[in-house]
Amino acid sequence: MNVGKSVKENELLFRNLFQHCSDIQFRELTINGGTKLLLIYVDGMIDTDVMTTNVLKPLLYDGLPQGLGTIDSIAQMCDLGLFAVMQSEKLTDCSEIEDRIMKGNAAILADGEDCAVLLNCTKFETRGIEESSNEAALRGSRESFTELLRTNTTMLRRIVSTSNLKMESVEVGRLTKTEVVISYIEGIAPANVVNEIRSRIHRIRLDAVLESSYIEESIEDTHYSPFPQMVITERPDIVSAGLMKGKVAVLTNGTPNVILAPMTFWVGLQAPDDFYERFLFASMNRWIRYIFSVFSILFPSIYIALTNYHPEMVPPKLMLSITGLREASPFPTIIEIFLMEFMFEALREAGIRLPKQIGPLVSIVGALVIGEAAVRAGIISAPIVIVVSAAGISSFVIPMYRFSFPFRMLRFPLLILSGLFGLFGIALGIIAILIHLIGLTPFGTPYLTPVTPIDLGKIKNILLRWPRKLVSANPSENGADRT
Amino acid sequence: MNRTLNVCLIILLLVSVTTGCWNLREPDQLAFIIAAGLDLNDEGQLEIASQIAVPAALSGGENGGGGGGGKKSFVVVSGTGKNVMDAGQNLQAQLPRILFYAHRQTILIGERLAKNGVGSLTDMFIRNPKSEMRSSILVVKGGLAKDVLSVEPTFDPYISTILVREQIAVGMKPYYYRQFLSDALSQAMQPLLPAVALTPGNRYRYAGSAILNKDDNLKLVGYLNAKESAYANWIIGRQTGLSITAPVSPGNEELSLNAKSLSKKLQVDLQDQPRITVMLKGAGIITENNTSLNPTKNNDLKRIEKELSQATQEAVQALVDKVQKQYNTDIFGFGEFIHREYPNRWKTLRPKWNAMFPRLRITVKVELKCKDPGQTNSAIDSML
Repeated sequence: MNVGKSVKENELLFRNLFQHCSDIQFRELTINGGTKLLLIYVDGMIDTDVMTTNVLKPLLYDGLPQGLGTIDSIAQMCDLGLFAVMQSEKLTDCSEIEDRIMKGNAAILADGEDCAVLLNCTKFETRGIEESSNEAALRGSRESFTELLRTNTTMLRRIVSTSNLKMESVEVGRLTKTEVVISYIEGIAPANVVNEIRSRIHRIRLDAVLESSYIEESIEDTHYSPFPQMVITERPDIVSAGLMKGKVAVLTNGTPNVILAPMTFWVGLQAPDDFYERFLFASMNRWIRYIFSVFSILFPSIYIALTNYHPEMVPPKLMLSITGLREASPFPTIIEIFLMEFMFEALREAGIRLPKQIGPLVSIVGALVIGEAAVRAGIISAPIVIVVSAAGISSFVIPMYRFSFPFRMLRFPLLILSGLFGLFGIALGIIAILIHLIGLTPFGTPYLTPVTPIDLGKIKNILLRWPRKLVSANPSENGADRT
Repeated sequence: MNRTLNVCLIILLLVSVTTGCWNLREPDQLAFIIAAGLDLNDEGQLEIASQIAVPAALSGGENGGGGGGGKKSFVVVSGTGKNVMDAGQNLQAQLPRILFYAHRQTILIGERLAKNGVGSLTDMFIRNPKSEMRSSILVVKGGLAKDVLSVEPTFDPYISTILVREQIAVGMKPYYYRQFLSDALSQAMQPLLPAVALTPGNRYRYAGSAILNKDDNLKLVGYLNAKESAYANWIIGRQTGLSITAPVSPGNEELSLNAKSLSKKLQVDLQDQPRITVMLKGAGIITENNTSLNPTKNNDLKRIEKELSQATQEAVQALVDKVQKQYNTDIFGFGEFIHREYPNRWKTLRPKWNAMFPRLRITVKVELKCKDPGQTNSAIDSML
């Protein structure tokens, strides 16, 4: 439906459209000896200073901008670009006008003209740029993304200063009409990956997109893998580093969490500190993460397998003291481990959303009740507490919090397998996990590259974080052979 | 298709669970045998004594819940039988937990059984897959294995671990069952087992070595004392350190050398009558010097080294003679050495080796070096 010529009719039309919307403001103006103007905007979403000084004052007091001769209509003003705001456009379709108003534009309708001029002078209150609380790094930029898409794209543009950094905008969500930006560096990001991500985002049919997870879930290759197939981060430095390595970033309005795809397994075990710290130290830290991530997934099940199936493999003294500590406990080892693992997961989950004031309470209760009392009472044997807490703590070594979920989850099937079949079961479980990982190819990139399929040139970057002098300085080279 | 695959998978899983291949054993269902003792009792029956750990006593009273502080950390259970496993069944009848052999640290052989020969008993220790090949094996000199197992040691909770450490402490490589087996199965090497003895205060003492004759059902031939067995092990190559004390002229006062990096070299001259030269080398630190010599002076040092070597050489030569003449068993592995170096000649020598061994001309040469005079130069009393 298009707008009509009469301001009165148009006002009625929009008042109907915005019925019971108390935040929509209608403002009538009269200029040039009689022409009625109607201004529609969302209260609180436009910059009133800009609106008053740059639009209203010239229109009301001066009639028309000086030195340009006669101008017949505001539509002509818009065509000639005479509004002193950054963007202005002329629209006739009612629903389009509605969209723009919702996004924070001010609409001006004039009597006798069958179009509306939309002026972009959006300004609303947002959270400022703050330090990332979820992804802390000892060194490097403290900035993190905010909820405002524009701010986020600016941050990227500030780091990657090249016209090759592309930002394709897509609107997703029938009701939320969320702006989503697909960002990549042309020439570095492989074209097939960009095309794949673009087409998957275009295919999304959702009513609402409240968070980037809606996008992630809609474009991921499989929902049934415990392993995340995209990096979610709120650090601009991680995203820009990813872009320069040929990854594609998907920024979603309204959330500071940016998607970086495709992801490989090894990225999940890297931290920004790796690249900011000196290479020896960074490489050591990387290996600590590799070792402890394996440790966190296997330790409880190996404990079960060794004590229950293969006691001959444990050194005699250790075996005897384990047995001694177990003497009084009433449950089989596997039940004990399950009890403690569930308790540990409960503690972890309970600790996340608690208010800061009672947060420490959880750890006190956890340490006292579960650690001390259960052992003292002889319900749980002491080695179990050590095993479960060691495995739990080592899962926190993984820098990306969500990447530690698969390690936590897969611990349970491995526990069952080792409880049923001993080391044989663990071997089966590991084989199954490896088969899954090798088969996983998010956006066509094998999850375990460069280890399998093996790439001898790049595998050294997995083993150590080499000094930059020794690695090719040209990132486009890295990107080119990725395709 | 997918469905049948799933069903197949489930059936496969069920098969492995339901076949009874269910060897899950909680550690508290097991009785850990940490040492086994083999004896011949008064009726001439085989008697197996097993030292079994009581883990609750180890963990301490506080955390173990019901575990008592005053509990003994082991029990010794014994049973008789036709062979080792038969006696094991007898043991099992006295214990509520399943016997677990894989943590057995030590096998002790009582003297009476050793004299009777242990050749027929070695099979179980290697055939049984649950058995532990890395047990150290010792002979109890003048006593029963059962009695040694009951000794309550000073440091460790169990005598079995102590006996392994004792061997390391006296400077030899621990003698494990697999070594015993490889000696017993070799062509000419006679097993030389470490020996322990009970002392009157119900303690044990390292008592040198026992010689078994494998050509005669592994019967006990005789013993070497601690010093002799150190020399013997040096020739075999199983000694890592040795403390040598000998008088040095002038004044014939004692001087001690703590020799490490011991090495040996054999030379064989295969005439009609083989002639074997044993060259022993060692180097170490002077740890005690009661002589008036100053080891930092070259002349004195030369003299010390020469006289120490001379004294040791005589002692070793005496040992070799004793083994040749008295025991008549090739514990040094000379035959094995010829077998390896001259396999063709060995074929003719082998049948008559046992007869030849006592008549072999064996020369021992010892060369000791003092690498370090210790922290001071001449003896303290000569400086006073």
